[in-house]
Amino acid sequence: MKQQTLIETAPYRALCRLEIGHICSALRSSLVLLLIFSAAFLLTAQEAEAAKTIKVAVAGPFTGSVAAFGEMIKKGAQLRAKEINGNGGINSKELELIFEDDTGKDKEASLVATRIASNKKILAVVGHFNSSCSLAGKPIYKRNRIVELSPGSTNVNVCKGSDYTFRNLYRDDFQGSFSAKYIKGVLTDVKTVAVFFDNDDYGRGLRDSFKQSAEKAGLAIVADEAYDRDTTDYKAQLTKIKSANPDLIFIAGLYSQAGLILSQARESGITAQFFGADGVDSPKLLEIAGEAANGIYITTPFIFGLEGNEEAQRVAIAFEQEFGKAPDTWAALTYDAVGMIVEAIEKRGESRKAIRDHLGSLTSPEKGYQGITGLTYFDENGDCLKPAYVKQVVNGKFVAAKVQFLD
Amino acid sequence: MTLFLEQIVNGLVLGGIYALIAVGYTMVYGVIQLINFAHGEIFMFGAYFAFLCLAVLKFPLWLAVLASILLCALMGVVIDLIAYRPLRNAPRLSALITAIGISLILQNLARMIWGAEPRRDLANAKSAFLSQTVIIPGGAQLSYLDLSIIILAILLMVGLNRLISLTRIGKAMRACAQDKMAASLMGIDTNRVIGATFAIGSALGAVAGIMVGMRETIEPTMGYYKGVAAFAAAVLGGIGNITGAMLGGVVLGIAEVLGAGYISSGYRVAISYILMILVIVFRPAGLLGRASAKRA
Repeated sequence: MKQQTLIETAPYRALCRLEIGHICSALRSSLVLLLIFSAAFLLTAQEAEAAKTIKVAVAGPFTGSVAAFGEMIKKGAQLRAKEINGNGGINSKELELIFEDDTGKDKEASLVATRIASNKKILAVVGHFNSSCSLAGKPIYKRNRIVELSPGSTNVNVCKGSDYTFRNLYRDDFQGSFSAKYIKGVLTDVKTVAVFFDNDDYGRGLRDSFKQSAEKAGLAIVADEAYDRDTTDYKAQLTKIKSANPDLIFIAGLYSQAGLILSQARESGITAQFFGADGVDSPKLLEIAGEAANGIYITTPFIFGLEGNEEAQRVAIAFEQEFGKAPDTWAALTYDAVGMIVEAIEKRGESRKAIRDHLGSLTSPEKGYQGITGLTYFDENGDCLKPAYVKQVVNGKFVAAKVQFLD
Repeated sequence: MTLFLEQIVNGLVLGGIYALIAVGYTMVYGVIQLINFAHGEIFMFGAYFAFLCLAVLKFPLWLAVLASILLCALMGVVIDLIAYRPLRNAPRLSALITAIGISLILQNLARMIWGAEPRRDLANAKSAFLSQTVIIPGGAQLSYLDLSIIILAILLMVGLNRLISLTRIGKAMRACAQDKMAASLMGIDTNRVIGATFAIGSALGAVAGIMVGMRETIEPTMGYYKGVAAFAAAVLGGIGNITGAMLGGVVLGIAEVLGAGYISSGYRVAISYILMILVIVFRPAGLLGRASAKRA
């Protein structure tokens, strides 16, 4: 198409020849464009109006294969926001949660992080959940100086290297060594262990730390197999594990795959004891694995219903009333995480820097945040030291294990 | 020895599933030289239709399976009718892009309707008998479901071979695959034959989908992963060659399982594709394919 100068364009020509028909159609199309632009302008102007609310983003896997985690995170956050807004909000402004779905994949998490960080009205992020997603978002949040407070990422590298990334649960090096010590100390019949891990940051990190600690504790690692989160057939690896005849199989992965692994393992004739970590901690595990889940031990950052925690009880009842189902570990951790952000805003101010400074100042137990999941305070990286609890599946339900190992 | 035998058995199950999906790819390529990227999604819908019939229409399992197969065959024909037939004389690239588009539409449609969470409804609906394990001579242990998958896959493959070589419609399909113009000159309604090809391929894909749904989980992305592997199997066996697709499926399934078991479980998925690349490098037309003159 050859270039047209203004003089050659149809509207101008129409104007010159005073052709009413052409002028009308030219005006019509420009009018349409004008309407579109003003509508867009008005809509964005609406956004600026709503600075009357305080915006906090919640990033998690709300859809995808680990959506059960996302559902609990969302509901935990919503319950906290409802309670806060019911009590007058933050400095008499309403707390508005903005949910962003990272589907549990790190590529999506980068997109979500960019979207959140570039929205200057969002003051902090509660998220992400999956370790690989938090790691993907970390540099973007750091660059934009916005706090990322994760209620679910346990990989050891999540908080390292950034002043803006925090978490309110333990790390995998602690979880791995805790699991090994628990197995050695409580499950005394177990001498040989097989490790079956998810081939992503979370699974590999947890497997590394568990393997190290297990070997130090004197347990023999007889098999060390990986699986890809996208595959649903584990028979090949399970057959290999079966031939090594382990007493216990440690699954370092997430509930949807763990559920399948459990049921396929029982189908293959594997009778070993199973042990999982926080990634397996979801009611959906019981749905997927059915009977095969009975007997599995799981380490988790929090258990509802432990003695002495009345605040957690109150929250559990409120959650059940609001959503019709019981809350799980992740709802509790998110409930606390939102609470921490809100406290930071109330105590220090309504800006990204204020939130970061407040969280960075919680460096000792005296200054720590007391939430339903316990006392949270951070070390120089943004990691926190909190105990691990152990659950077991008995008759299709999660119960606190008879022996808790709190040293 | 038991370990090796059990891995072979695992590989045969996987291979059977891949073979059922791969023939769908290869049959369609044979008649219209199109890689039907939407075929993986038909496999996925096979599982979802069965789930729908079970959960919503409350059919008994056998009826749900039958209904799902028929629905998928219909779906294959409809997709051909609306998406590929109008492009019969267009450049091959247009049809290819359309196929990718249909694949995306179907994946997201399933996601919108049923959500992205994996479902175990089909697995829970199978009778307890199928979950029980049996020990075959040699010491390998597998579930009755896996055993039925192997047997069913073999039966269906033999049936398909019979259909292609002994029936009239099979002869018509072979004729269309050889030369569509000449076939129509001989009085064969090529559009009908192509529709039948889609129907049969999709029906087999549906069977595979139901099997995988019973064995594992149903999710909107299941078609993508199994579909890509099955496509690699079809290429490995010689695209356009039905026996090749069956062979390719079995070879790929066994290679994947043996690779995972003996080489590295972390590279399980990569091993199948490495194998496919190696075969193509040394035998460009695939294991059973014949190098043919470039079609106009």
